[in-house]
Order: sequence, then structure tokens, then C-alpha cells
Amino acid sequence: MSLNTLAQALVSGALLGCFYTLMALAFSMILGVTRALNLAHGDLIILGGYLGYWLWSGSGLHPLFLVPVAAAALLPLALVWQWLFDRLPEPRELSSLVLTFGLSLLLQNIMLALWRGEYRLIASESLTGSLTLGGLRLNQGRLIVAVAALLVVGGLFLGLTRTRWGRAVRATSLDRDAAALLGINVDAATRTTFLLAFCLSGAAGVLFATLHYLYPAGGIELTLLAIVLTIWAGVGRLRSVLVAGILLGVVEALTVAWGGPRWRETVVALMLLVSLLARSGGLARGWSH
Amino acid sequence: MAFGGLLALRGVDIAVEEHQVVGLLGPNGAGKTTLFNILSGLLRPTAGEVWFGGRRVTNLAPWRLSGLGVGRTFQIARPFARSTVLDNVLVGITFRGRHRYGRALDRRHEAERLLATVGLADKAPARANELSLGERKRLELAMALSTRPTFLLLDELASGLSPKGREEVVRFYGRLKERGLTIFAIEHSFRILAHVADRLVVLDQGTIVAEGRPEQVLGSPRVVQAYLGEDDGP
Amino acid sequence: MGRPGRIGLGLVAAALVVLPPLTGFHPYYLYLVSTALLFGTVATSWNLLAYAGQISFGHAAFFGLGGYGAALASLAGLSPWLAIALGGGIGALGAAGIGLASARLRGAYLALATLAYAEIWRGVAHNWTTVSGGGEGLIGIPPLPTLGWLPLDFTRGRAGSYYLSLAFLVVVVAVFWGMLHSRLGLAFAAVREEEERASLLGVHPLPWKILAFALSGFFSALAGGLYVHMVGVVEPDLIFSRYFSILPLVMATFGGLHTLLGPAMAALGLYLVSELLLHPYVPAFHQLPYALALIVVVLYLPGGLSGLFTRKPRGAA
Repeated sequence: MSLNTLAQALVSGALLGCFYTLMALAFSMILGVTRALNLAHGDLIILGGYLGYWLWSGSGLHPLFLVPVAAAALLPLALVWQWLFDRLPEPRELSSLVLTFGLSLLLQNIMLALWRGEYRLIASESLTGSLTLGGLRLNQGRLIVAVAALLVVGGLFLGLTRTRWGRAVRATSLDRDAAALLGINVDAATRTTFLLAFCLSGAAGVLFATLHYLYPAGGIELTLLAIVLTIWAGVGRLRSVLVAGILLGVVEALTVAWGGPRWRETVVALMLLVSLLARSGGLARGWSH
Repeated sequence: MAFGGLLALRGVDIAVEEHQVVGLLGPNGAGKTTLFNILSGLLRPTAGEVWFGGRRVTNLAPWRLSGLGVGRTFQIARPFARSTVLDNVLVGITFRGRHRYGRALDRRHEAERLLATVGLADKAPARANELSLGERKRLELAMALSTRPTFLLLDELASGLSPKGREEVVRFYGRLKERGLTIFAIEHSFRILAHVADRLVVLDQGTIVAEGRPEQVLGSPRVVQAYLGEDDGP
Repeated sequence: MGRPGRIGLGLVAAALVVLPPLTGFHPYYLYLVSTALLFGTVATSWNLLAYAGQISFGHAAFFGLGGYGAALASLAGLSPWLAIALGGGIGALGAAGIGLASARLRGAYLALATLAYAEIWRGVAHNWTTVSGGGEGLIGIPPLPTLGWLPLDFTRGRAGSYYLSLAFLVVVVAVFWGMLHSRLGLAFAAVREEEERASLLGVHPLPWKILAFALSGFFSALAGGLYVHMVGVVEPDLIFSRYFSILPLVMATFGGLHTLLGPAMAALGLYLVSELLLHPYVPAFHQLPYALALIVVVLYLPGGLSGLFTRKPRGAA
């Protein structure tokens, strides 16, 4: 592998990693406030992508304008998910996995019925084509997606640290009962978290659809990625998630450069398995801060 | 024994002689259960050694310690909730390291005898999660005995029981001692062990503050101070 | 089980035995019920693993390993009977492997590990083109040969695989029954309910967990091996798909976790309902009943799932 290819892979991977961070945050936010694992996470993102695609092919608007639309479109689902998660029996980690396993299948079937199995892509001209910076060719689409993702993550960071509701969300995520005792409205904080997380998922979906083909069963890879990042970075630590996301993107890009794109999905699953096995003691502690 | 930054046990040096009954006392949070967890193989000590019968047994897995003759009860009973009471005691009888039976019928008979010893004979077919608190404690004891241990770690057998129940526990300690078992027992209340114990060890915040015969320990000012603020007292 | 239950059971069993001649050896119905019986086998084997406290989200891995193992052996010239048995063995090994590796994982984390495991095998089968035939998989798997010593009608066409699938179900149920009434069941229940307590009573959890995985994997793989011989093809994205991981989960929990016949009954019921009633009318949604059944069971029938959600491990309490 030439040095140029290596550098190419590193940068390309880092850009993709920013997107992965966005995706993982949506997952871990819900995990933080509800201790529930949303196995349908990736499928929701794909759904956002399909909605974005549908709007794009119908209206011809630039995909970036569709990001907020798709984000908003998933809001009703956020409420549905919250309603369902409220009724989970203990232990929630396992029962939520079972529930969302079913929800994942449900979503996939619905998407299959609506959009068939053909691969879809938001192939907008402004996003194809590349930029050359210092000898490296950067895919324009990836660059824009990375910037968009970083902006959103930055906004989220500011929101969580500077505003009152942000602090409420973080407190609830740390210790629900203690937060309630301190007078924080944990139900409202939870609802805010769900709405926010689903918005992020919808946005991520549209961005994803510009980078990668959509197909109904494509969500699992994204879910596994989000879980890997959450294991690596812990819940709620934004900076760690960003670092982990970029790292993951780089690892993936290197793998693709070495072995070809076909093994990507498998490598992600392998990384999840290895991460789980490496963390096998006291995992419950590992999920919280 | 350190948990992260918390030092749960420090410089705890205890010897239990065969056939002795040694009591472990101390206020809540003193580290008594931690010590038991180490002695039964559930925890690895960050420093120190455990010896049993002349052998170094530090870091041995619980099932191996059980095979060597170590038995234990839990303060909050942990039976196999959805299995029958009979099955609960059958586990130890079936899988213990020594004195195994070839025939299922023999194992069953011993299980029934064991249940009779603790007064649970009529509850054999019931599920463990249907038992009352007192019955569950008796099941705990039966389970600990099911492996025919020579050394028993008993964790607060008497706590949460009525005065009548506590009397029964005292009698039980006597019977176990008669059988020749070596006993290391945690009790919150000194009175339970006063007559039966050969020695008492008092733990406070992870260190031994008193040790010796019951009469000696009772009067010790450090012991009284350790219990200060506790509702029960020594 | 009361008398009415036993009579009902006897009727169902009898019906299953005489089904082929009863339907005039109609290939479609035989295929349908065979598949239902195979799912019943996988569901019962899943239930066996769950009885030992291990919840698997990746049984497709064992089903698929059996399928590919049997297919490759069959295509290489081995007799299909032996090929299926070989597939079973491969599934058992694959299951023992993940069981060993994930021995310290519990609950949701074990479930995720098994899910990841199935996805890994899916990827391997998809990409290791030289061995597995890549994305298109393998075709031309020979059907089961007729047995000379049985009347032709009972072994040719779909009937042969039908009786074999019935036999698999009977055997796995028998094994489950044997487990329940033996030291195996005692150890499994102890490891499931209170692993630490069990270890204090002389039960070394690891070998029992591995055994549970191996048994479960074996029967699921046998079913997989027979399945590929019935349909003649094996595709990675199909046989290792999460569909085959979710099916046994739904069937076992819906039918009654830890019960002897619950999963098999649920398998027959759910599968036949979905194929006979839904598929003809709303084909796009024929997987829906399983998803809905699962959601309903989690939220509204916690009693039925009480076996699924045992107490958290001590470290997390």
C-alpha cells in the first residue's frame, strides 16, 4: 500500500468517522436516560434516509435542505419509542434488546414493502466530485457530510453543557433517581432526549443516503457501529465519542483499503464481538459514565 | 482488599482452628461480607493469602473451594428461585466433590433427610420463590450443608428473625458444632454467639479492633466504640 | 398436563405422522409443514440453551453453519444423510466456540455477542467466495435419496424430508425431556438462576454452558442441513439472516419459555398461520406476525417471559 493510499484512507476514514459520531450519539443518548438498547437504531436511520430519498427524488431540492425535514419526520416515532420503552420489564438492557429486535424486523418489513429491495442513493451532483487538497483527493460529499455532522455534534455539545435542559438531560442520564430528588423533571428530560435523538437519526439518515446505498436490511451495520462506539467511549462523553468515531472510521478505511469494501460489515461485527469480550467484566458499570 | 480507591480490608490476619466456632462481629460496612466473599472464592484479594488445611487456596474458584470442603450461606438468601426446594438441595448433593452417590434415589433420600433437618421436609415440592423469609433462610442453610462441608461460612443466620427464631439459630449453632464442623459466623448481635463461640473477632472499617474469647471482647472499649451509633449495640 | 391436553397432543402427533398420505403427498403442504417442524426443532433447541440461562440472538449462525456444512459436503459427493449429520457437527462446534468465548458475558451483552457472531458468519459466507459461492451461494444441492427398504411413497419427493424433519423434532424434544429429568437439567437450572451460588455448590459453570451451546447448536444445524436439502440452494444473506435468529426467539417465548412443547407448538401455529393466511393475501408483510408477537410478548405477557429476564448478575446489583 502506498503512502498516498494510506493517507487517503486516513483522511477519508476520519471524515466518515465524524458521521459515525453523530450516529453513535443518538444511540447512546437514549441508552443514557433509559438504560435501554435500541437495536432498531440503524433501521430508523435508514428510514430517515428513505424519507430523504423520497423527498429528494420528488422535489429535486438539495439534500441538505431535506435534513431537517427528515429529522422532523421521525419525531412521532420518538414518542412511540418512548411510550414503548416506558413499559419495559426489568432487566431493561435485555428486554429492550428483545423489543427492539422485533421493532427492527417490523421497520425492515415496512421499508421493504414501501420501497422494495432495490438500492437507492441520493446522488446529488453537488455531492459527487472531489476536491484536491495537498495531493489528497477528498470526496466532496464526504467532506460536506463530515462538516454537517461536526456542526450538529458541536451544537449538541453546546446545548448539553450550556443550557438548563442540557444539564437536566445529563443529570437524568447519570442518575435518574438522584436527578428526580434534585427537582429535575426527569420525564421531560427523557422526552427531550428521545426527540433529540430521533432528530439526529433522521438527519444522519439523509446524510447517510448521500454516501451509501440504501436497502431495507442495511440498518444492522449502523446499529452495530453505534454499539461499538458506545462501548469504546462510554455513554455521554461527547469528546470520547468523537475521538472513537474518527478512530473507527480510520480503522474501517484501512480495512477497506487492504481487503476491499466487501468485508466492511463483517469487520464491524467482529469489532463488536471483540469489544464485548474485552469488556466482559462489570459491563453494567461500563454503560454509565 | 481494595476496590479501586476504597480499601475494604486492611491487615486482616485471622486463623480459624479446626472444630472451632469463631464469630465475626462488627458494625455495618466493616468489611465482614467482603471477607467472606474472599474466603469463598467469589472475590480475589488484591493482597494477602488464604490457606485451608495446609494448602494455599487464594484465588481458587468457588467450585474448587467447595470441593475442598468450604460451604457458605448468604445473608440475603439466594436460592434457585424457580426450582423446587428439593432441587435446590439436590444441586449440592449431586455435584459436590466428595461423597457422591451413583443412584439418583440415594441422592433424593439424602436431600429429603437434609430438608427434614432444617424443618422444610413438607416444602420439598414447592418452588423456592414461594417460601417465607424464615423458610428461605433455612433453605440457605440446607444448601450450604448439601455439599457436606467441613468448614462453614455463615452470614448472619439470625438477622431478621423473631426471638423464637433466634433461639432456634443458637441451638443450630450448637448442633453444627457437635457435628464437628468448623464454623466462621458473622452475626450482628453479640448475644447470639456469646455461648457458642470459642473466639470472637471484631472488625471495624476493614481492620480488626478486637480478638479473643467472648468475655474478653465484650468489655473492650474499642468494640463498644465501634458499635456506637448502632441501634443494636454489641 | 391434564387428560384433555394429552388427548389433544396425541391427536396432533397422530395427524403429523399420517399427514403425507392424508394430503396425498401434496408437495406444497408437505414442504410447508416440514419447514414448520424444522423451525420447531430450532425453537426447541433455542429453548434448551435458554433453559441454561443463555439467551441467543444469533441462532441463525448455527442454522447457517449446518446449512453450509451440509451443502458443501453434499456437493462434494458425500451422502446427504452424512452431510446433514456433518453439518450438525459443525454447528455444534461453532456454538461451543461462541459459548466458550462469551462465557463471562451475561444478559444483553451475551445476546449482542451472539448477534455479532451470526453477522460475522454471514459476512464470511458472503465474501469467502471460493468456498461459499459468494453472494449467490450454492445451488444444485441434491434432494434426499429414497430409501430402498421403505415403501417408495414414504421417501420420495417431499415425504422423505418430511419424516426426517418430524424425526428431528421428536429427537430434540426427547433430548429436552431427558435434560429436564437428569443432572443436566439440575446443573442448567442452577447456572441459570444463580450462577455464583451454583459454583459454591460444586457446579463449575463453564463446561455446562458450553454443553448447552453445543447441544443447541447441533440440533439447529441439523435443521439447517435438512432445510438446504429441501430447497436445493443456500444463500448467505438468507440462511444467516436475522429472520432465522428472531424466529426461535419468538416461538420459544410465545410458546412458553422452558416448557417442553411450547416452542414446537408455537412454531407450528405461528408459521402455518403466517404462511397459509397471510402470505397469500399480504405477502409483503408475512414476517409481521413474528415481529408483532415478539413486541406483544415483551410488553404484555411478562409472565411468559419471566424466564427470559432472570436476575441481574451480582456485580451489577
